[in-house]
Amino acid sequence: MEELRTTPLHRWHLDQGANMAHFGLYDMPLWYPAGAKAEHLAVIEAAGIFDTSHMALIGLRGKGALALLQRCFSKDLEHCQGKDRGPLTAGRCVYGVFLAEDGTVIDDAIVYRLGEDSWMVVVNAGMGGIVARHLEDRPEASGVQTIDYTDRIGKMDIQGPLAAKVLGRVLRDPQTVFAGMTYFSCKGGFGELIAPHPVTLLDGTPLLLSRTGYTGEFGFELFAAGDRIVSLWQTVLAAGEEFAVLPCGLAARDSLRTGAVLPLSHQDIGPWKFANNPWLFALPWDDGGKSFSKDFIGGRSLLDDPAGEYTLPFAGFDPRKITVGKDTFVTNLQGDTIGQVLTCATDMAIGRVGETIISVATPAAEGRPEEFRPRGLSCGFVKVHGPLAAGDIVIITDGRRDIRVEIRADIRPHRSARRPITSML
Amino acid sequence: MKELSELEFPETVRYTEDHEWAAVDGETVRIGVSDYAQDQLGDIVYVEMPEVGDIFEKGDEFGTLESVKAVSEIYMPVGGEVVAVNEALIDTPEMINQDPYGAWIVEIRPNDAGEYEELMSAEDYLDMLRG
Repeated sequence: MEELRTTPLHRWHLDQGANMAHFGLYDMPLWYPAGAKAEHLAVIEAAGIFDTSHMALIGLRGKGALALLQRCFSKDLEHCQGKDRGPLTAGRCVYGVFLAEDGTVIDDAIVYRLGEDSWMVVVNAGMGGIVARHLEDRPEASGVQTIDYTDRIGKMDIQGPLAAKVLGRVLRDPQTVFAGMTYFSCKGGFGELIAPHPVTLLDGTPLLLSRTGYTGEFGFELFAAGDRIVSLWQTVLAAGEEFAVLPCGLAARDSLRTGAVLPLSHQDIGPWKFANNPWLFALPWDDGGKSFSKDFIGGRSLLDDPAGEYTLPFAGFDPRKITVGKDTFVTNLQGDTIGQVLTCATDMAIGRVGETIISVATPAAEGRPEEFRPRGLSCGFVKVHGPLAAGDIVIITDGRRDIRVEIRADIRPHRSARRPITSML
Repeated sequence: MKELSELEFPETVRYTEDHEWAAVDGETVRIGVSDYAQDQLGDIVYVEMPEVGDIFEKGDEFGTLESVKAVSEIYMPVGGEVVAVNEALIDTPEMINQDPYGAWIVEIRPNDAGEYEELMSAEDYLDMLRG
């Protein structure tokens, strides 16, 4: 058995009295004394910070790096940016997946173009070596330098509508840093990982700042040298105190990402075909939307033989959920088993007003009642054997309790991730 | 997660191995979950409770606690008939986290007073938790 790993912030988590649990190979905080509900709500109403140093990071350098990624990564990096679908430019990043030849998922990733021939790939905890080898084993890897930076880099996220206000207190020249920082862009860097436009803390610590995240809310992921992450974390938390920023654990991360319809790799996507799911925007569709604009590993398999299974988001009618395991199933209203449950969490910021799902962030003009204090709704993803439409009702069951849930196109409304940065300063 | 020394285990109630507590209140017994249980579960977001009039044996599952982490069954420390459920928990399940010994879940009329006497004292319960 591999030794349990810790991040540089592990001692800090223990000192705060965090409830810890094993996640992949890492001992990580589930929640801090404020509790997962307060942490979840903080990210929607103010901001929260997350230790994400367990994520893995691979650097790619060399003239052939683009061709290698074009062969291995699902997004067409030459046709993905902006309305005109131009090439990914330095300082921009995209979400996609690495597939095996049979169209099943190795891992999902954000790929960053830092410079003309300098790329950075962020994958899930424990996946750095696996994805790096997958890349290195390709003939296109000749002449491309692949570096697994995982143990040398610290990473934290700040997520929530006040994230830029908090960072504005700790960054040097924040106005310049935030100027033009659209969703899925990055600036700054350190060591060998350098994107356009430097970003430093007031004390001079260089950062790579990425306007991305895993909560569906406005915010940033911050990368720094591994030995700077504890002081970065403490600096951001201290600046966030007046904004009611909370440190957040994996429980809030899971409930936030589920409400935002974001998949957890190896749970919602994994060793089955990447097809008929809510994340097909990660594929390199051509203008017609029927075929792909490039040839890549796994692509042919998806086009020739799409899966017969469908992964769909759902939301319940109250906070009740089931603990997902091998005995959890989806049935139709007649009780016939039609699939399995992949994720089931409670989004504690939402509730139903009549049939409509309302969030604490929903504007009053769009239906949020005064004094809205939702109890939360169960939500997640099911994988079923045939197509279902939004609005269809199915039952999720662990054999002991049966819970009625609704297939959804989306779950938590009025998320802030895509708001223009100018409205968040 | 709190250290055991930071948790409260009042001597006025008795405990089960499944982390429920029971307290005699006249002819009835109130039942809830211990400070240790709520700390382990994290934020309670929903409590599923039985109906008044339901009858349970000692050890029967009588409801569930829905926390951010998982769904946990709760079991009867003593057998009897449910005479009241704590309806305040429907809208404010977090009371179990805030005041685990004040936030009783059900009140029952026990069949056999002897069953209560068999439950663990605070000292025995703490010994069990210390392993």
